[in-house]
Amino acid sequence: MSVIFLKGLAVLGFIAVSAMFSIWLERKISAWIQNRMGPMMTGFHGTLQPVADTIKLLLKEDIVPKGVDFLSWWLAPFFVTVPVVMAFLVIPFSSKWIALDLNVGVLYVCSVTSICVLGIFMAGWGSNNKYSLLGGMRSAAQIISYEVPLLLSVLLVVMQSGTMSMQGIVAAQEHGWFILKPHLTLAFLIYFISATAEVNRVPFDIPEAESELVAGYHTEYSGMKFAMFFVAEYTNMFIISAIATTLFLGGWQGPFLPGLVWFLLKSYGLVAFLMWMRWTLPRVRMDQMMSFAWKVLTPMALLNLLISGWFMVK
Amino acid sequence: MMIRLFTGFYSILKGFKVTFKNMLKKPVTLNYPIVKKPMTDRFRGMVDLVPEKCVICYQCIKICPTAALELEHKVLEDNKTKTITKFVFNGELCCFCGFCGEICPTDAIFLNKMYEVSYFAHKDLLTIDLMRKDKYKHVDGGESS
Repeated sequence: MSVIFLKGLAVLGFIAVSAMFSIWLERKISAWIQNRMGPMMTGFHGTLQPVADTIKLLLKEDIVPKGVDFLSWWLAPFFVTVPVVMAFLVIPFSSKWIALDLNVGVLYVCSVTSICVLGIFMAGWGSNNKYSLLGGMRSAAQIISYEVPLLLSVLLVVMQSGTMSMQGIVAAQEHGWFILKPHLTLAFLIYFISATAEVNRVPFDIPEAESELVAGYHTEYSGMKFAMFFVAEYTNMFIISAIATTLFLGGWQGPFLPGLVWFLLKSYGLVAFLMWMRWTLPRVRMDQMMSFAWKVLTPMALLNLLISGWFMVK
Repeated sequence: MMIRLFTGFYSILKGFKVTFKNMLKKPVTLNYPIVKKPMTDRFRGMVDLVPEKCVICYQCIKICPTAALELEHKVLEDNKTKTITKFVFNGELCCFCGFCGEICPTDAIFLNKMYEVSYFAHKDLLTIDLMRKDKYKHVDGGESS
């Protein structure tokens, strides 16, 4: 019992530190791209800036707007944050550092992270605000659409490795990362694009498009509840990178350095790439995004699955 | 369709190249207020005074279009030497025209390079004692005379 409790505490601690580090990294990368310096005053090169921001958010007043649907409005941040924490259950940080190596790990992580859309839609609906509602609607449409190519590309990895256990998939890449196989390179690309849309990152950030929808589904949230959405967004980013690392980049395997270091290096490398992408690409239009999912990614993923499957069986 | 996909992908890669190049460039901003950019030669900051150079000719007082300067003096016992008893500058009235500096025969009064002109209290801005050496030290790095 106490071991489970300790593991839970470790996961929560990691999420807090990881979110803070990601926020700092994002601010720095955006600054470098725009030829600025970014936060410099709090701590060495602004390293303590996210700590100051967190304290500010924790101490802020929790405002409940008039006319909200209280239950769904109040529950929404938890529906967004809790699945993110649950997903850490099967993430293999190293050969030993895994909370629980489920034999259906991939299925578990994909289903648990899909719950987030419920929270986002609840936030949009419960806020009783047109911008929030539009953001929630867009998010639901987007996440459901991109779930299809994402799962199809993950399916290919499962077919290749013959297991759904995360450690099993890492072990299957002992003699070469999956990304190096041509059909899985395409699967990785499809996975990464779909996952970017899943976590509402640029160029697919239309649910919270600030130039159109103020802040989308979390317009009405402030203080601690806003912080929960924020933490969930950045942790989600780490989770999709961690899954990509596990499924395509050989997980914690690598020479010289310990497994944990390799895993974090690869995952944060992908997180940094996502940030680089955010400050490079413009936001796509809603119709462009939907047609890209249904007319390009899904057929491509299906064809890839069909052709690779045929070769595997043959 | 495929051509559009490939050209789109190529343009995205080009965008990545541009932002990556920018990432490696030196920042164009400064770590203000730790690092401050020196002002240009003709920058007109706050009115400043070198009391030793002043000959108490009252030219600056007469030419000031907003009456932002206030000067008082007394004659010493020898009936020859004059000495300043009060030289106050009103930072709120000043329009930074620089006439005082232009008219001054000894270049005793001039506009310095200080651009951090905010004060903690309103009254401090209204009565800046130009005779004090530390008159512009209220802001870090604010230069005096």
